[in-house]
Amino acid sequence: MEQEKEKKARFCINDHQDILIEILTRLDDRSLGVAACVCRLWCSICRNDSLWENLCFRNASPPTPDVRSVVEALGGYRRLYMVCLRPVLNRLSGLSLGLAGRGGVSGRNGRIWTQDEVQLSLSLFSIDYYERLGGRQGGDASASSLMFLCKPVNV
Amino acid sequence: MGPYDYGISAGSSSSSSSSCAGGKPTELDGLLAGAGYKVRSSDLHQVAQRLEKLETFMVNAPTEISQLASEAVHYNPSDLASWVDSMLSEINQPFPVSSSDLSDFSDFHYMDDLVTPPLQHEVLTDAWADQSAQQQQPQPPLQQQQLTVVAAIEEDSGIKLVHLLLTCAESIQRGDLALAGTLLEKMRALLSRVNTGCGIGKVAGYFIDALSRRLFSPQAVCAGSVLENEILYHHFYEACPYLKFAHFTANQAILEAFDGHDCVHVVDFNLMHGLQWPALIQALALRPGGPPLLRLTGIGPPSPDGRDSLREIGLKLAELARSVNVRFAFRGVAASRLDDVKPWMLQVGPREAVAINSIMQLHKLLGPDPNRGSPIDSVLGWVRSLNPKIITVVEQEANHNQPEFLDRFTEALYYYSTMFDSLESCTLQPEKAVAEMYIQREICNVVSCEGSARVERHEPLAKWRARLGGAGFRPLHLGSNAFKQASMLLTLFSAEGYCVEENQGCLTLGWHSRPLIAASAWQAVPLPDTNSLPTINDCVL
Repeated sequence: MEQEKEKKARFCINDHQDILIEILTRLDDRSLGVAACVCRLWCSICRNDSLWENLCFRNASPPTPDVRSVVEALGGYRRLYMVCLRPVLNRLSGLSLGLAGRGGVSGRNGRIWTQDEVQLSLSLFSIDYYERLGGRQGGDASASSLMFLCKPVNV
Repeated sequence: MGPYDYGISAGSSSSSSSSCAGGKPTELDGLLAGAGYKVRSSDLHQVAQRLEKLETFMVNAPTEISQLASEAVHYNPSDLASWVDSMLSEINQPFPVSSSDLSDFSDFHYMDDLVTPPLQHEVLTDAWADQSAQQQQPQPPLQQQQLTVVAAIEEDSGIKLVHLLLTCAESIQRGDLALAGTLLEKMRALLSRVNTGCGIGKVAGYFIDALSRRLFSPQAVCAGSVLENEILYHHFYEACPYLKFAHFTANQAILEAFDGHDCVHVVDFNLMHGLQWPALIQALALRPGGPPLLRLTGIGPPSPDGRDSLREIGLKLAELARSVNVRFAFRGVAASRLDDVKPWMLQVGPREAVAINSIMQLHKLLGPDPNRGSPIDSVLGWVRSLNPKIITVVEQEANHNQPEFLDRFTEALYYYSTMFDSLESCTLQPEKAVAEMYIQREICNVVSCEGSARVERHEPLAKWRARLGGAGFRPLHLGSNAFKQASMLLTLFSAEGYCVEENQGCLTLGWHSRPLIAASAWQAVPLPDTNSLPTINDCVL
């Protein structure tokens, strides 16, 4: 009995990164954020852009291959998700379903994100990148035209 | 911590809840005593009513409260009943409203009807009503009436302001400047009684300023420097969705028009910060079949301090285009007036598909110009000679170019009131305040300028249709994609009052069913001697 217990205790998920990645690719945005706080290994995995790419297109039809190069050039999938996609989807789904818009993305009844919503997010993302390019006269880098996405909805 | 000490000791003695009918009338209320207030149980009914009146007044006229904060002396605030009474009596002093004062507004007889009879407050629970029925003192009717009248005056001042504004404008049109001056003073006096933080008070304030500018200093320049205009424009872009709607709709139309072309050239009549173009560059980068060679020509006013702002914007756009692998070339054309631009400055290649983009620029050409012919006709003429694939036109949906001043003024009053209403929902500061300055400048130009100085000559969509149709253009319908995108964009804004409507192939964005901005797309009617389009693309770089 004690030998079995010893064998079980020796299993450490950090030694099996492929399993760890498999699990993390199925999480929603909030859980990924929480997971990133566990340890340095988890943090580096959670910051990997491919996880976020997976999250962005999980419920949408797979994108064309050139999307990845464009998104990476404009700042990466994690930024796309946090700055554009999540607020856009929160706002649109919150209004249509009458929800407060909290909770992870995958917990939203598997709602399909339309190509239009992704396109709109990409457009807003490109504006965000453009505004972050240096040399804006007198304005600080964080004054973005996407700030309206951060404000809570007056329902 | 004096009052709280008392409260703790008193709370234990009157342990029964104040709402019980069995409490003795002279006892202090236990719950309030725990919070440090000494209120007799018998007075609770009155105190509750008075607090409600005080709250009603504070909500309706917050500007008058400031004097309470600084000048009112409260000797014993823990005695809640007398404290509330003293607050109410202090407030009522600046408004000695009697029926004789109401004769000031003698030309509004309906004022008398609006003074409603004292309201019956029904805030009490049954328990309290039982207890205090026999102890209820007669409510001072005058106090209550004064408060109701104050609220009614607040509303009526707004209506009166509008009436005075229109009367003033009409007297200006007739040439009776003396009467106009008197009316202006009356309006300013009335303005002090109205909440100028929002609503009709704020809009009226701007119109009063514009009218006095027209009467007393008509030569004063309305426009600011180039840098100021850019900053105002940018904040207007961020505070409300009108410009974003314009950009996204125009981009969608241009994207669809460029389908199948490998060399495309966009001419922007007013580059500003170039915020429209990142989204188009990104969309072209991802279009099926790969991105075309994109040339952008941005027209803008010359910068006074020698800084080449057009080139800086071009460099930023080029960097973005480079990141997403779109071949891109930029050219800046500095011109203070759009009719100074000649078509050769744009260097349009022979095989390029050209898109002309005009966001709120064409109306500036409608003014009279003694030196040149009609500016709008000459610009539309050379635009047509370029044979563009698409012309996107976004204009304010308003009739601010009527020949009679009063008509213009009335239209502007309603248009900008609606626009300010929509801006109320914006919570971003300082974007909202600076956006208001942007709108204020437009108001100033429409109301106080004349002749060539008045550049904000907005015309409604129907007039633009006629004008563009007569200049040799035919409308292109904006597709359902543009409509969908515009609707989606609007739901991202927290206010629910915006509405997108389709109007014979054009899209309008408005606030509560009043359209405020209209986007349309046009194409040149083919000239009889146009060459057929080449089947093989060879671009002259």
